[in-house]
Amino acid sequence: MNRFQYARPETVGEAVALLEEHGDDARLLAGGTDLVIELRNRWVEPKVVIDLKRIPDLAPAIVERDGFLSISASTVMTDIAEDERVQRYFPALVESAVVVGSVQIRARATMAGNICNGSPAADTAPPLLVYDAVVVVAGSDGERRVPIDDFIVGPGKTALQRGELVTAIELPIPERPYGAAYTRLTRRRGTDLASITLCAGVDADGQARIAYGSVGPRAFLVEDESGILGDSTIPSEDKIDSLDQIFYRASPSLKSLRASPDYRLAMLRVLGARALETAIGRLTKELVS
Amino acid sequence: MNAVGSSPRRGGGYGRVTGHQEYLADIKLPDALHVKLVTLECARARINAIDSTEAEQVPGVHFVMTAADLPDPMPRFGPQFQDRPVIAVGETKYHGEPVAAVAAETKDAAEEAALLVKVDYTKLEDGIFSVADALAPDAVLVQDPALRGASSFAQTNIIDEKHFGWGDIDDQEAHLVVEDSFQFPMVTHFAIEPHGFMAAPDGDGIEVWSTIQHPYLLQKIMAKMLDLPLSKVRVHAPDPGGGFGGKQIPKFEPLVAFMALRAGRPVRLVLSLDETFQQVRRSSAEIRVRAGFTAEGVFTFMDIETNFLVGAYVDIADRVVSKSSYSGAGPYRIPAVKIIGRTILSHTTPSTAFRGFGIPQIGWARESLIDEAALQLGIDRLQIRLLNLARYKEPFIPSEEADGDWEQTVRTAAKRIGWGDPLPPNRGRGIAVGLKSGPTTGLSYSTVRLLYDGSAMVYAGTSDMGQGARTIFAQITAEELGVPLDDITVVMGDTSVVPYDQQTSASRSSVLMGTAVQRACFEIQGKVRAMAAKLYNVDEGDIKVDQGRLLLPDREFSVVDVMQEALAPLGGEVIGNGEMRKDKEPDHPLGGTAAFFEFNCTASEVEVDMETGHVTLVKHVTVGDVGKALNPLQVTMQDDGAAIMGLGHTLMEHYIFDNEGRVRNIGAIDYRILTSMDLPLDLHSESVENADGPGPYGIKGVSEGSLLVTAPAVGAAVREATGKIIRDLPLTPQRVWEALQEDENGS
Repeated sequence: MNRFQYARPETVGEAVALLEEHGDDARLLAGGTDLVIELRNRWVEPKVVIDLKRIPDLAPAIVERDGFLSISASTVMTDIAEDERVQRYFPALVESAVVVGSVQIRARATMAGNICNGSPAADTAPPLLVYDAVVVVAGSDGERRVPIDDFIVGPGKTALQRGELVTAIELPIPERPYGAAYTRLTRRRGTDLASITLCAGVDADGQARIAYGSVGPRAFLVEDESGILGDSTIPSEDKIDSLDQIFYRASPSLKSLRASPDYRLAMLRVLGARALETAIGRLTKELVS
Repeated sequence: MNAVGSSPRRGGGYGRVTGHQEYLADIKLPDALHVKLVTLECARARINAIDSTEAEQVPGVHFVMTAADLPDPMPRFGPQFQDRPVIAVGETKYHGEPVAAVAAETKDAAEEAALLVKVDYTKLEDGIFSVADALAPDAVLVQDPALRGASSFAQTNIIDEKHFGWGDIDDQEAHLVVEDSFQFPMVTHFAIEPHGFMAAPDGDGIEVWSTIQHPYLLQKIMAKMLDLPLSKVRVHAPDPGGGFGGKQIPKFEPLVAFMALRAGRPVRLVLSLDETFQQVRRSSAEIRVRAGFTAEGVFTFMDIETNFLVGAYVDIADRVVSKSSYSGAGPYRIPAVKIIGRTILSHTTPSTAFRGFGIPQIGWARESLIDEAALQLGIDRLQIRLLNLARYKEPFIPSEEADGDWEQTVRTAAKRIGWGDPLPPNRGRGIAVGLKSGPTTGLSYSTVRLLYDGSAMVYAGTSDMGQGARTIFAQITAEELGVPLDDITVVMGDTSVVPYDQQTSASRSSVLMGTAVQRACFEIQGKVRAMAAKLYNVDEGDIKVDQGRLLLPDREFSVVDVMQEALAPLGGEVIGNGEMRKDKEPDHPLGGTAAFFEFNCTASEVEVDMETGHVTLVKHVTVGDVGKALNPLQVTMQDDGAAIMGLGHTLMEHYIFDNEGRVRNIGAIDYRILTSMDLPLDLHSESVENADGPGPYGIKGVSEGSLLVTAPAVGAAVREATGKIIRDLPLTPQRVWEALQEDENGS
């Protein structure tokens, strides 16, 4: 790797100031599971690496307040997946967190980093979209809250401006029963990058939404306008047309090594139907209890 | 002492799992320069000029080595043909072939400078990336015909064409003739330890460190290349972290040696995993098989034609082709056989030896075709194999006979998989048999020293790359001399200390080096017996030796006690030497009969997700005829490991090229091997032991058997579950799904 300056700010303000100063020449370090590979392979050659791990305000924490579960920027996947409140309210997020990388990666990788890295295949993106997560962004003008759907822009791109960083991701705790499920398509069962990431959510009224990634420049969230996808009384085979409507934004790459476009499009349907079934099952269980 | 047949703690195992083992990359030579290779972003290119001015200005850079700095004509080397240059000269022939090498004080400086070496090159069109490309009438020649000597194929991309067989296949009647073509992909060894090379001037000679499996072959090649006597070339070969055949043959040792001589100090080149992917692989193959059967399913003939696509340099690939083709018809009784195997050059990574040595390719085709015949004849797939299988001692190739009770092996595998039991929905089973020739020649020497305190040192030139050779040799010594296993040190990996061994390959070491070690122990037994005869005034002929005990007519002693009494008061030691030689047989088609056969039956049960094409391995059984399991746990681990490796090329592994011959899925991200999560839910390896092998205690070689026919066993199971025949590997979810989309007409 190339030489770079290493900065270890102790406040969010100091980090923001460094970002303001260095702009694109700076890279943030939290878990480092993407950054270190990029440095080693010389894919990025920053002048400054800003380590966020010594900032008390960003220390690993999952706190409940004002109807939100707030996950700080340096909280790692393992801790998110093991948190009892996340498990209770956001099971699909747990399902996505436990398949990121390997055991070792999950003990290091942060969810904020997963989103900020901007990979179209980011595992946590679809559940965060389905759960209407909000990204808390700090900048020199203070804090702003950005809905996750607006935060995710495209490959490697987010809504972050020069001098901004993510301090937390907030998830609204559902007030009514909600069922959601995450699933993915991979080439093998062990550690793998997903060819499809997909999360289905169904609310107490039977309204469904599906978020899916790795089949276009970013993960997309699409509401079911037909109103039938969340209906547990309608058999899966009668939902195919509605599912196809959901996946209208999919445009899988022809060049991908991982799966052909035809296969991915066909698997979107399969995974969509399976995730919906699980989501409806979870909703039903919540409604009963 | 019953060391043989037990499974003691593995020699070196603790170091391996705790990170204490010193691999090549862990050896820090003081003052070493770091080397980084410069490669091009294409397979085939003409090198016009190399400008290293800017690179040499990077602080810490000493020099950049190119073909211009090496002798003219470029020195070339190889185990079969002297075709591999020390560094690319004039033209690159595969993606990843180095055109220059930077030597610098640090790895970072070398890497930075490597990016600054300016190579003026012209990408050459019409590179050869497939069998069809290579055999096209207007194909460019991968190798200069001037390098090809008197070969009648010199003006083609064919290195050689092997013809084997017996009987007349055109003279055979058949109730049913089946014919099909199959493909086997390029795959890489994926040893966890990447290849590494170091060299240092050593007085008027040279020292070389390498992850090599064959240190004595490397010594010979270095001596020839540098015009040095063998005694001036010292090769250090620390235990490799996995080899699988990929580390048999020298690669960049000559390059680092020339660089060390130029620098006057040590140099070190440790490849990354990604770089290793570009240097070693298994040959891909296109295999056409045609076979005739009677209505009852008895073979009347078999006709096999295999086009092996090897790389830009032959390495040991031509031997892979001849050896695998020779026994390509398998362990069956077939009246007429015709086999053609072609070694075909291409502008791709040079293929080399790889566990199974060509057999998995041909086995995939042959066993799959037998299934197609069984289906058409309405005969059970197990029965058709049993019907044709050569029985014990029966010749199945004119000069080779069945060296084991192969029927017992097949029946055991069938029983373990539950052959014939009812299957749940979406499930299928497959069974396949495979056989591989062991070594056809061999030469191993060992020295054993029984030290005065009753401990022992064993010198063996085998490379222990994880297969457990250290443990095996210690067990043999413990068995013969009565020395506790923990008091035995096995010395390997230094040609200036350890006597010659031909090579570590073909599952040979337990049988061949094991015999040399045992003979060295016998020599010690003989010397100690002579001591006992003198001490106790008994005729030598009246003293028997058994498991480290000397049995006199009226009493017995341990070998160690007699040695100590005889050598007191000065102390000292008793030294034994052993030699195992399997000479060439000039009239044999392969230059020698196989020392033994690795015979294996693999049976698999899978469940297929009919919507996604994902294959779940419900149960996977491999049974091998091992003669005797000298160390049962190590045999199981070799069999489990080989089966898992075979499942890799069966289900997910393959190189993906772009149209310029670049490997697109270099490295661990997009070249997938099985993880623990992908293993069979139930993996069962078992041995048939009739103590009928040529090695000590009746052992045969072990370690390749259970990947020989992994693919056809799993493929057959997928066929039964889906009703679809797939003739190309790997059986990725997408490929299985695509097969499931085909209608009955196959479109």
